[in-house]
Amino acid sequence: MQHDPAVITGICRAVELAIERAVRLSPGTATQLQGLHPLDVAIHCTEPTISIFAFIDAAGMVKLASYRETKPTVAIEATWRDFGKLATAADPAAALINGDIKISGDTAALLQVQRVISDLDVDWEAPLVDALGPLLGHQIANIVRAIVHGTKSTHRRVKRQLSEFILEEGRLSPSAGELDAFFSDIDDLVLRADRVESRLTRLKKRVSTLVETVK
Amino acid sequence: MNTQDNQSDETTDFGFEQVKKGEKAGRVREVFDSVADQYDVMNDLMSGGLHRLWKRFTIELSAVRSGQTVLDIAGGTGDLAAKFSKLVGNDGNVILADINAAMLSVGRDRLIDKGALNNISVVQADAQFLPFEDNSIDCITIAFGLRNVTDKDTALRSMHRVLKPGGRLLVLEFSKPTSPLLSKIYDAYSFAALPIMGKLIADDADSYRYLAESIRKHPDQDTLLDMVEDAGFVDCRYHNMTGGIVAVHRGIKG
Ligand SMILES: C[S@@+](CC[C@H](N)C(=O)[O-])C[C@H]1O[C@@H](n2cnc3c(N)ncnc32)[C@H](O)[C@@H]1O
Repeated sequence: MQHDPAVITGICRAVELAIERAVRLSPGTATQLQGLHPLDVAIHCTEPTISIFAFIDAAGMVKLASYRETKPTVAIEATWRDFGKLATAADPAAALINGDIKISGDTAALLQVQRVISDLDVDWEAPLVDALGPLLGHQIANIVRAIVHGTKSTHRRVKRQLSEFILEEGRLSPSAGELDAFFSDIDDLVLRADRVESRLTRLKKRVSTLVETVK
Repeated sequence: MNTQDNQSDETTDFGFEQVKKGEKAGRVREVFDSVADQYDVMNDLMSGGLHRLWKRFTIELSAVRSGQTVLDIAGGTGDLAAKFSKLVGNDGNVILADINAAMLSVGRDRLIDKGALNNISVVQADAQFLPFEDNSIDCITIAFGLRNVTDKDTALRSMHRVLKPGGRLLVLEFSKPTSPLLSKIYDAYSFAALPIMGKLIADDADSYRYLAESIRKHPDQDTLLDMVEDAGFVDCRYHNMTGGIVAVHRGIKG
Protein backbone atom coordinates (compact mmCIF):
# COMPACT_ATOMS: atom_id res chain seq x y z
CA MET A 1 0.00 0.00 0.00
CA GLN A 2 1.29 3.40 -0.98
CA HIS A 3 0.72 6.03 1.66
CA ASP A 4 0.24 9.71 1.11
CA PRO A 5 3.06 11.85 2.48
CA ALA A 6 0.63 14.72 3.02
CA VAL A 7 -1.41 12.57 5.39
CA ILE A 8 1.61 11.45 7.39
CA THR A 9 2.87 15.01 7.45
CA GLY A 10 -0.52 16.10 8.76
CA ILE A 11 -0.39 13.53 11.53
CA CYS A 12 3.12 14.60 12.41
CA ARG A 13 2.04 18.21 12.64
CA ALA A 14 -1.00 17.33 14.76
CA VAL A 15 1.04 15.30 17.23
CA GLU A 16 3.75 17.95 17.27
CA LEU A 17 1.15 20.56 18.23
CA ALA A 18 -0.26 18.29 20.94
CA ILE A 19 3.20 17.89 22.46
CA GLU A 20 3.93 21.58 22.06
CA ARG A 21 0.77 22.45 23.96
CA ALA A 22 1.63 20.06 26.77
CA VAL A 23 5.22 21.28 27.01
CA ARG A 24 4.01 24.85 27.27
CA LEU A 25 2.05 23.87 30.35
CA SER A 26 5.06 22.19 31.91
CA PRO A 27 8.01 24.59 31.70
CA GLY A 28 10.47 22.22 33.39
CA THR A 29 10.04 19.75 30.56
CA ALA A 30 11.21 22.21 27.94
CA THR A 31 14.59 22.51 29.64
CA GLN A 32 14.83 18.75 30.08
CA LEU A 33 14.04 18.26 26.41
CA GLN A 34 16.59 20.83 25.42
CA GLY A 35 19.16 18.76 27.28
CA LEU A 36 18.35 15.83 25.01
CA HIS A 37 19.11 17.70 21.78
CA PRO A 38 20.29 16.40 19.29
CA LEU A 39 18.33 13.23 19.61
CA ASP A 40 16.79 11.49 16.64
CA VAL A 41 14.39 8.60 16.92
CA ALA A 42 13.30 6.74 13.81
CA ILE A 43 10.13 4.68 13.94
CA HIS A 44 9.84 2.36 10.97
CA CYS A 45 6.63 0.58 10.43
CA THR A 46 6.50 -2.14 7.82
CA GLU A 47 3.43 -3.51 6.08
CA PRO A 48 2.52 -0.83 5.14
CA THR A 49 5.87 0.91 5.16
CA ILE A 50 5.67 4.18 6.98
CA SER A 51 8.51 5.90 8.74
CA ILE A 52 8.14 8.62 11.28
CA PHE A 53 11.03 10.49 12.76
CA ALA A 54 10.95 12.27 16.07
CA PHE A 55 13.71 14.59 17.05
CA ILE A 56 14.44 17.42 19.41
CA ASP A 57 15.56 20.68 17.94
CA ALA A 58 17.98 23.15 19.48
CA ALA A 59 15.14 25.02 21.18
CA GLY A 60 14.04 21.84 22.91
CA MET A 61 10.97 21.38 20.77
CA VAL A 62 9.89 17.88 19.80
CA LYS A 63 9.61 17.73 16.02
CA LEU A 64 8.15 15.01 13.89
CA ALA A 65 8.83 14.33 10.27
CA SER A 66 7.92 11.76 7.69
CA TYR A 67 11.25 12.08 5.92
CA ARG A 68 14.65 12.65 7.44
CA GLU A 69 18.21 11.98 6.40
CA THR A 70 19.98 12.50 9.71
CA LYS A 71 21.32 9.25 11.15
CA PRO A 72 18.99 8.29 14.00
CA THR A 73 20.26 7.89 17.54
CA VAL A 74 17.90 5.00 17.96
CA ALA A 75 15.56 3.18 15.59
CA ILE A 76 12.45 1.14 16.32
CA GLU A 77 11.17 -1.18 13.64
CA ALA A 78 8.13 -3.41 13.54
CA THR A 79 5.10 -4.28 11.53
CA TRP A 80 1.95 -2.32 12.14
CA ARG A 81 0.47 -5.42 13.76
CA ASP A 82 3.34 -5.72 16.21
CA PHE A 83 3.01 -2.08 17.15
CA GLY A 84 -0.68 -2.76 17.65
CA LYS A 85 0.14 -5.73 19.86
CA LEU A 86 2.48 -3.58 21.88
CA ALA A 87 -0.29 -1.05 22.34
CA THR A 88 -2.69 -3.60 23.77
CA ALA A 89 -0.20 -5.86 25.51
CA ALA A 90 -0.76 -6.43 29.19
CA ASP A 91 2.98 -6.56 29.56
CA PRO A 92 4.67 -4.39 26.93
CA ALA A 93 8.12 -5.28 28.23
CA ALA A 94 7.43 -8.90 27.40
CA ALA A 95 5.84 -7.88 24.12
CA LEU A 96 9.01 -5.97 23.31
CA ILE A 97 11.27 -8.88 24.09
CA ASN A 98 9.17 -11.69 22.68
CA GLY A 99 7.59 -9.75 19.85
CA ASP A 100 9.20 -8.84 16.59
CA ILE A 101 9.95 -5.25 17.44
CA LYS A 102 13.52 -4.40 16.56
CA ILE A 103 15.32 -1.67 18.42
CA SER A 104 18.74 -0.58 17.33
CA GLY A 105 21.11 2.16 18.38
CA ASP A 106 21.25 3.96 21.67
CA THR A 107 18.34 2.54 23.68
CA ALA A 108 19.38 4.52 26.75
CA ALA A 109 18.51 7.68 24.86
CA LEU A 110 15.10 6.27 24.11
CA LEU A 111 14.49 5.64 27.78
CA GLN A 112 15.57 9.16 28.61
CA VAL A 113 13.15 10.73 26.20
CA GLN A 114 10.43 8.37 27.30
CA ARG A 115 10.99 9.43 30.89
CA VAL A 116 10.62 13.10 30.02
CA ILE A 117 7.63 12.71 27.72
CA SER A 118 5.74 10.20 29.82
CA ASP A 119 5.48 12.79 32.58
CA LEU A 120 3.77 15.14 30.17
CA ASP A 121 0.06 15.27 29.97
CA VAL A 122 -0.34 15.08 26.20
CA ASP A 123 -3.75 14.72 24.66
CA TRP A 124 -2.84 12.26 21.89
CA GLU A 125 -6.40 11.41 21.15
CA ALA A 126 -7.87 14.70 19.98
CA PRO A 127 -5.39 15.68 17.27
CA LEU A 128 -5.15 12.15 15.89
CA VAL A 129 -8.89 11.71 15.78
CA ASP A 130 -9.11 15.10 14.10
CA ALA A 131 -6.57 14.10 11.50
CA LEU A 132 -7.64 10.51 10.89
CA GLY A 133 -11.17 10.08 12.11
CA PRO A 134 -12.35 8.20 15.19
CA LEU A 135 -11.43 4.67 14.16
CA LEU A 136 -7.89 4.91 12.95
CA GLY A 137 -7.17 7.98 15.06
CA HIS A 138 -8.06 6.19 18.26
CA GLN A 139 -6.05 3.13 17.34
CA ILE A 140 -2.96 5.16 16.55
CA ALA A 141 -3.41 7.23 19.71
CA ASN A 142 -3.31 3.95 21.62
CA ILE A 143 -0.09 2.96 19.94
CA VAL A 144 1.49 6.33 20.61
CA ARG A 145 0.38 6.16 24.21
CA ALA A 146 1.79 2.68 24.58
CA ILE A 147 5.14 3.68 23.13
CA VAL A 148 5.39 6.83 25.18
CA HIS A 149 3.99 5.69 28.50
CA GLY A 150 4.25 1.96 28.18
CA THR A 151 1.11 0.13 29.22
CA LYS A 152 3.16 -1.07 32.14
CA SER A 153 3.41 2.33 33.71
CA THR A 154 -0.29 2.85 33.13
CA HIS A 155 -0.80 -0.42 34.94
CA ARG A 156 1.45 0.73 37.69
CA ARG A 157 -0.46 3.97 37.98
CA VAL A 158 -3.77 2.17 38.08
CA LYS A 159 -2.32 -0.17 40.65
CA ARG A 160 -1.15 2.69 42.83
CA GLN A 161 -4.39 4.56 42.52
CA LEU A 162 -6.33 1.45 43.33
CA SER A 163 -4.28 0.57 46.37
CA GLU A 164 -4.51 4.17 47.58
CA PHE A 165 -8.23 4.03 47.11
CA ILE A 166 -8.48 0.79 48.97
CA LEU A 167 -6.33 2.00 51.83
CA GLU A 168 -8.15 5.27 52.11
CA GLU A 169 -11.47 3.65 52.21
CA GLY A 170 -10.08 1.54 55.05
CA ARG A 171 -12.23 -1.33 53.99
CA LEU A 172 -9.35 -3.67 53.51
CA SER A 173 -5.64 -3.42 53.29
CA PRO A 174 -4.40 -6.27 51.21
CA SER A 175 -0.75 -7.15 51.14
CA ALA A 176 1.34 -6.38 48.10
CA GLY A 177 1.19 -10.07 47.28
CA GLU A 178 -2.57 -10.07 47.31
CA LEU A 179 -2.68 -7.06 45.07
CA ASP A 180 -0.24 -8.69 42.66
CA ALA A 181 -2.41 -11.77 42.53
CA PHE A 182 -5.41 -9.57 41.93
CA PHE A 183 -3.67 -7.82 39.04
CA SER A 184 -2.45 -11.01 37.45
CA ASP A 185 -6.04 -12.19 37.59
CA ILE A 186 -7.03 -9.08 35.74
CA ASP A 187 -4.29 -9.72 33.20
CA ASP A 188 -5.61 -13.23 32.70
CA LEU A 189 -9.06 -11.90 32.30
CA VAL A 190 -7.91 -9.41 29.70
CA LEU A 191 -6.09 -12.16 27.87
CA ARG A 192 -9.11 -14.41 27.98
CA ALA A 193 -11.35 -11.58 26.84
CA ASP A 194 -8.98 -10.98 23.93
CA ARG A 195 -9.15 -14.64 23.02
CA VAL A 196 -12.92 -14.66 23.20
CA GLU A 197 -13.01 -11.55 21.08
CA SER A 198 -10.83 -13.03 18.36
CA ARG A 199 -12.88 -16.21 18.46
CA LEU A 200 -15.97 -14.12 18.01
CA THR A 201 -14.45 -12.34 15.04
CA ARG A 202 -13.48 -15.67 13.50
CA LEU A 203 -16.96 -17.01 14.07
CA LYS A 204 -18.53 -13.91 12.57
CA LYS A 205 -16.35 -14.32 9.50
CA ARG A 206 -17.33 -17.99 9.20
CA VAL A 207 -20.99 -17.16 9.53
CA SER A 208 -20.79 -14.50 6.85
CA THR A 209 -18.94 -16.82 4.45
CA LEU A 210 -21.56 -19.46 5.16
CA VAL A 211 -24.32 -16.97 4.44
CA GLU A 212 -22.54 -16.03 1.22
CA THR A 213 -22.29 -19.67 0.11
CA VAL A 214 -25.92 -20.36 0.98
CA LYS A 215 -26.93 -17.34 -1.11
CA MET B 1 12.63 39.21 -20.62
CA ASN B 2 14.78 39.53 -23.71
CA THR B 3 13.60 41.38 -26.79
CA GLN B 4 14.26 38.47 -29.07
CA ASP B 5 11.51 36.60 -27.33
CA ASN B 6 9.11 39.44 -27.84
CA GLN B 7 9.55 39.37 -31.57
CA SER B 8 9.26 35.62 -31.91
CA ASP B 9 5.98 34.26 -33.19
CA GLU B 10 6.33 31.05 -31.25
CA THR B 11 3.45 30.56 -28.92
CA THR B 12 3.09 29.02 -25.51
CA ASP B 13 0.20 28.30 -23.20
CA PHE B 14 -1.26 30.84 -20.88
CA GLY B 15 -3.84 28.73 -19.12
CA PHE B 16 -5.90 27.36 -21.99
CA GLU B 17 -5.08 30.31 -24.22
CA GLN B 18 -2.16 30.38 -26.62
CA VAL B 19 -0.08 33.53 -26.37
CA LYS B 20 3.18 34.62 -27.94
CA LYS B 21 6.13 33.41 -25.88
CA GLY B 22 7.19 36.97 -25.24
CA GLU B 23 3.81 37.84 -23.82
CA LYS B 24 3.45 35.10 -21.25
CA ALA B 25 5.66 36.64 -18.58
CA GLY B 26 3.71 39.89 -18.74
CA ARG B 27 0.37 38.11 -18.49
CA VAL B 28 1.60 35.99 -15.58
CA ARG B 29 2.80 39.16 -13.90
CA GLU B 30 -0.66 40.73 -14.20
CA VAL B 31 -2.15 37.68 -12.54
CA PHE B 32 0.20 37.81 -9.57
CA ASP B 33 0.10 41.59 -9.32
CA SER B 34 -3.59 41.24 -8.89
CA VAL B 35 -3.59 38.36 -6.39
CA ALA B 36 -0.56 39.39 -4.29
CA ASP B 37 -2.47 40.96 -1.40
CA GLN B 38 -4.97 38.16 -1.01
CA TYR B 39 -2.56 35.42 -2.00
CA ASP B 40 -1.96 33.81 1.39
CA VAL B 41 -5.61 33.80 2.41
CA MET B 42 -6.63 32.33 -0.93
CA ASN B 43 -3.96 29.66 -0.67
CA ASP B 44 -5.37 28.45 2.62
CA LEU B 45 -8.94 28.62 1.42
CA MET B 46 -8.43 26.97 -1.93
CA SER B 47 -6.42 24.07 -0.62
CA GLY B 48 -8.21 23.76 2.70
CA GLY B 49 -4.85 24.38 4.34
CA LEU B 50 -3.32 21.43 2.52
CA HIS B 51 -0.67 23.57 0.85
CA ARG B 52 0.96 23.86 4.26
CA LEU B 53 1.38 20.10 4.47
CA TRP B 54 2.62 19.85 0.89
CA LYS B 55 5.20 22.50 1.66
CA ARG B 56 6.13 20.91 4.93
CA PHE B 57 6.88 17.60 3.25
CA THR B 58 8.89 19.43 0.59
CA ILE B 59 10.99 21.02 3.31
CA GLU B 60 11.54 17.60 4.90
CA LEU B 61 12.73 16.26 1.55
CA SER B 62 15.19 19.13 1.24
CA ALA B 63 17.13 17.82 4.25
CA VAL B 64 18.53 21.34 4.58
CA ARG B 65 21.04 21.75 7.40
CA SER B 66 22.36 24.67 9.34
CA GLY B 67 24.91 26.74 7.47
CA GLN B 68 23.58 25.97 3.99
CA THR B 69 22.47 28.32 1.23
CA VAL B 70 18.94 27.84 -0.01
CA LEU B 71 17.22 29.51 -2.96
CA ASP B 72 13.45 29.58 -3.04
CA ILE B 73 12.62 30.70 -6.55
CA ALA B 74 9.09 31.86 -7.44
CA GLY B 75 9.00 32.17 -3.67
CA GLY B 76 6.12 34.63 -3.69
CA THR B 77 5.14 35.71 -0.23
CA GLY B 78 7.99 33.82 1.40
CA ASP B 79 6.45 31.09 3.50
CA LEU B 80 9.05 28.51 2.48
CA ALA B 81 11.82 31.08 2.92
CA ALA B 82 10.70 31.73 6.50
CA LYS B 83 10.90 28.00 7.31
CA PHE B 84 14.30 27.63 5.66
CA SER B 85 15.57 30.65 7.53
CA LYS B 86 15.15 28.73 10.80
CA LEU B 87 16.74 25.57 9.40
CA VAL B 88 19.91 27.18 8.05
CA GLY B 89 20.40 29.35 11.13
CA ASN B 90 22.68 32.33 11.43
CA ASP B 91 25.52 30.71 9.50
CA GLY B 92 23.27 29.99 6.55
CA ASN B 93 21.58 32.00 3.83
CA VAL B 94 18.18 32.01 2.27
CA ILE B 95 17.40 33.78 -0.98
CA LEU B 96 13.77 34.56 -1.63
CA ALA B 97 13.48 35.20 -5.35
CA ASP B 98 10.49 35.93 -7.54
CA ILE B 99 9.89 37.65 -10.86
CA ASN B 100 7.08 39.69 -9.39
CA ALA B 101 7.80 42.80 -7.32
CA ALA B 102 4.30 42.91 -5.80
CA MET B 103 4.57 39.35 -4.47
CA LEU B 104 8.06 40.04 -3.14
CA SER B 105 6.95 43.18 -1.39
CA VAL B 106 4.13 41.32 0.40
CA GLY B 107 6.74 38.67 1.19
CA ARG B 108 9.22 41.15 2.57
CA ASP B 109 6.61 42.71 4.86
CA ARG B 110 5.57 39.32 6.08
CA LEU B 111 9.15 38.30 6.84
CA ILE B 112 9.76 41.53 8.72
CA ASP B 113 6.65 40.79 10.80
CA LYS B 114 8.02 37.36 11.60
CA GLY B 115 11.40 38.85 12.44
CA ALA B 116 12.96 36.44 9.98
CA LEU B 117 14.89 38.71 7.67
CA ASN B 118 18.40 38.58 9.10
CA ASN B 119 19.57 35.61 7.03
CA ILE B 120 17.19 36.11 4.09
CA SER B 121 17.87 38.21 1.05
CA VAL B 122 15.09 39.18 -1.31
CA VAL B 123 15.94 39.23 -5.02
CA GLN B 124 13.77 39.95 -8.02
CA ALA B 125 14.75 37.33 -10.58
CA ASP B 126 13.43 35.22 -13.43
CA ALA B 127 13.75 31.48 -12.89
CA GLN B 128 14.98 31.12 -16.47
CA PHE B 129 17.93 33.43 -16.00
CA LEU B 130 19.06 33.12 -12.40
CA PRO B 131 21.45 35.92 -11.47
CA PHE B 132 23.63 33.75 -9.22
CA GLU B 133 27.07 32.25 -9.56
CA ASP B 134 27.54 28.72 -10.86
CA ASN B 135 27.81 26.05 -8.15
CA SER B 136 26.83 28.41 -5.36
CA ILE B 137 23.64 27.00 -3.86
CA ASP B 138 22.95 23.89 -1.75
CA CYS B 139 19.26 23.58 -2.34
CA ILE B 140 16.68 25.12 -4.67
CA THR B 141 12.95 24.92 -4.16
CA ILE B 142 10.27 26.10 -6.53
CA ALA B 143 6.75 25.71 -5.18
CA PHE B 144 3.77 26.21 -7.46
CA GLY B 145 5.98 28.35 -9.66
CA LEU B 146 7.29 26.25 -12.53
CA ARG B 147 3.97 26.11 -14.38
CA ASN B 148 4.04 29.89 -14.71
CA VAL B 149 7.47 29.98 -16.27
CA THR B 150 7.56 30.50 -20.03
CA ASP B 151 10.32 28.03 -20.84
CA LYS B 152 10.51 25.38 -18.15
CA ASP B 153 13.52 23.59 -19.64
CA THR B 154 15.55 26.79 -19.65
CA ALA B 155 14.54 27.36 -16.03
CA LEU B 156 15.51 23.83 -14.96
CA ARG B 157 18.90 24.16 -16.66
CA SER B 158 19.45 27.52 -15.01
CA MET B 159 18.72 25.96 -11.62
CA HIS B 160 21.11 23.12 -12.40
CA ARG B 161 23.84 25.62 -13.21
CA VAL B 162 23.67 27.54 -9.92
CA LEU B 163 23.41 24.45 -7.71
CA LYS B 164 26.56 23.08 -6.12
CA PRO B 165 27.50 19.53 -7.14
CA GLY B 166 25.48 17.29 -4.84
CA GLY B 167 22.96 20.10 -4.44
CA ARG B 168 19.31 19.35 -4.56
CA LEU B 169 16.34 20.66 -6.54
CA LEU B 170 12.77 20.27 -5.34
CA VAL B 171 9.86 21.15 -7.57
CA LEU B 172 6.49 21.24 -5.83
CA GLU B 173 3.71 21.60 -8.35
CA PHE B 174 0.17 20.62 -9.18
CA SER B 175 0.13 17.40 -11.11
CA LYS B 176 -2.16 14.70 -12.35
CA PRO B 177 -4.54 12.96 -9.90
CA THR B 178 -3.88 9.24 -9.98
CA SER B 179 -7.51 8.16 -9.81
CA PRO B 180 -10.04 9.09 -12.51
CA LEU B 181 -12.72 9.75 -9.92
CA LEU B 182 -10.57 12.12 -7.94
CA SER B 183 -9.61 13.73 -11.23
CA LYS B 184 -13.27 14.46 -12.03
CA ILE B 185 -14.07 15.85 -8.61
CA TYR B 186 -10.97 17.94 -8.74
CA ASP B 187 -11.81 19.30 -12.20
CA ALA B 188 -15.25 20.30 -11.04
CA TYR B 189 -13.76 21.94 -7.99
CA SER B 190 -11.10 23.90 -9.73
CA PHE B 191 -12.97 25.02 -12.83
CA ALA B 192 -16.22 25.85 -11.09
CA ALA B 193 -15.39 26.60 -7.49
CA LEU B 194 -11.99 28.29 -7.75
CA PRO B 195 -13.04 31.18 -9.99
CA ILE B 196 -16.13 31.74 -7.83
CA MET B 197 -14.02 31.80 -4.67
CA GLY B 198 -11.59 34.05 -6.45
CA LYS B 199 -14.41 36.38 -7.41
CA LEU B 200 -15.94 36.43 -3.94
CA ILE B 201 -12.80 36.84 -1.93
CA ALA B 202 -10.40 38.62 -4.18
CA ASP B 203 -12.92 40.00 -6.71
CA ASP B 204 -10.83 38.44 -9.42
CA ALA B 205 -12.33 35.41 -11.14
CA ASP B 206 -10.01 35.61 -14.17
CA SER B 207 -6.81 35.19 -12.23
CA TYR B 208 -8.16 32.14 -10.47
CA ARG B 209 -9.43 30.75 -13.76
CA TYR B 210 -5.89 31.14 -15.07
CA LEU B 211 -4.58 29.26 -12.04
CA ALA B 212 -6.99 26.37 -12.67
CA GLU B 213 -6.17 26.23 -16.35
CA SER B 214 -2.45 26.51 -15.89
CA ILE B 215 -2.61 23.53 -13.54
CA ARG B 216 -4.11 21.39 -16.30
CA LYS B 217 -1.52 22.53 -18.80
CA HIS B 218 1.36 21.63 -16.55
CA PRO B 219 3.24 18.44 -17.44
CA ASP B 220 2.20 15.32 -15.55
CA GLN B 221 4.47 13.49 -13.09
CA ASP B 222 6.44 11.40 -15.58
CA THR B 223 6.83 14.14 -18.15
CA LEU B 224 8.21 16.50 -15.53
CA LEU B 225 10.51 13.75 -14.27
CA ASP B 226 11.94 13.42 -17.79
CA MET B 227 12.36 17.17 -17.99
CA VAL B 228 14.27 17.27 -14.72
CA GLU B 229 16.51 14.46 -15.95
CA ASP B 230 17.03 16.17 -19.31
CA ALA B 231 18.20 19.29 -17.50
CA GLY B 232 21.10 17.22 -16.15
CA PHE B 233 19.82 16.15 -12.75
CA VAL B 234 20.49 12.64 -11.43
CA ASP B 235 18.76 10.47 -8.84
CA CYS B 236 15.46 11.95 -9.90
CA ARG B 237 12.21 10.83 -8.36
CA TYR B 238 8.84 12.16 -7.36
CA HIS B 239 6.33 11.73 -4.55
CA ASN B 240 2.63 12.09 -5.18
CA MET B 241 0.62 13.83 -2.52
CA THR B 242 -3.11 14.00 -1.98
CA GLY B 243 -3.77 11.50 -4.70
CA GLY B 244 -1.46 13.14 -7.21
CA ILE B 245 -3.15 16.54 -7.05
CA VAL B 246 0.33 17.72 -6.29
CA ALA B 247 3.70 16.06 -6.68
CA VAL B 248 7.13 16.97 -5.48
CA HIS B 249 10.00 16.15 -7.82
CA ARG B 250 13.52 15.82 -6.60
CA GLY B 251 16.75 15.94 -8.58
CA ILE B 252 20.37 16.04 -7.52
CA LYS B 253 23.14 17.81 -9.39
CA GLY B 254 25.64 15.03 -10.04
C1 LIG C 1 1.44 30.40 -7.25
S1 LIG C 1 2.74 31.49 -6.78
C2 LIG C 1 3.66 30.52 -5.65
C3 LIG C 1 4.25 31.29 -4.53
C4 LIG C 1 4.91 30.46 -3.42
N1 LIG C 1 6.06 29.72 -3.91
C5 LIG C 1 3.93 29.53 -2.78
O1 LIG C 1 4.07 28.33 -2.95
O2 LIG C 1 3.00 29.97 -2.12
C6 LIG C 1 3.70 31.54 -8.22
C7 LIG C 1 4.82 32.55 -8.20
O3 LIG C 1 5.66 32.34 -9.32
C8 LIG C 1 6.18 33.60 -9.72
N2 LIG C 1 6.74 33.48 -11.07
C9 LIG C 1 6.06 33.35 -12.23
N3 LIG C 1 6.92 33.27 -13.26
C10 LIG C 1 8.16 33.34 -12.74
C11 LIG C 1 9.48 33.31 -13.30
N4 LIG C 1 9.67 33.18 -14.60
N5 LIG C 1 10.53 33.40 -12.45
C12 LIG C 1 10.34 33.53 -11.14
N6 LIG C 1 9.14 33.56 -10.56
C13 LIG C 1 8.06 33.48 -11.34
C14 LIG C 1 4.97 34.49 -9.58
O4 LIG C 1 5.33 35.84 -9.53
C15 LIG C 1 4.34 33.98 -8.28
O5 LIG C 1 4.81 34.68 -7.18
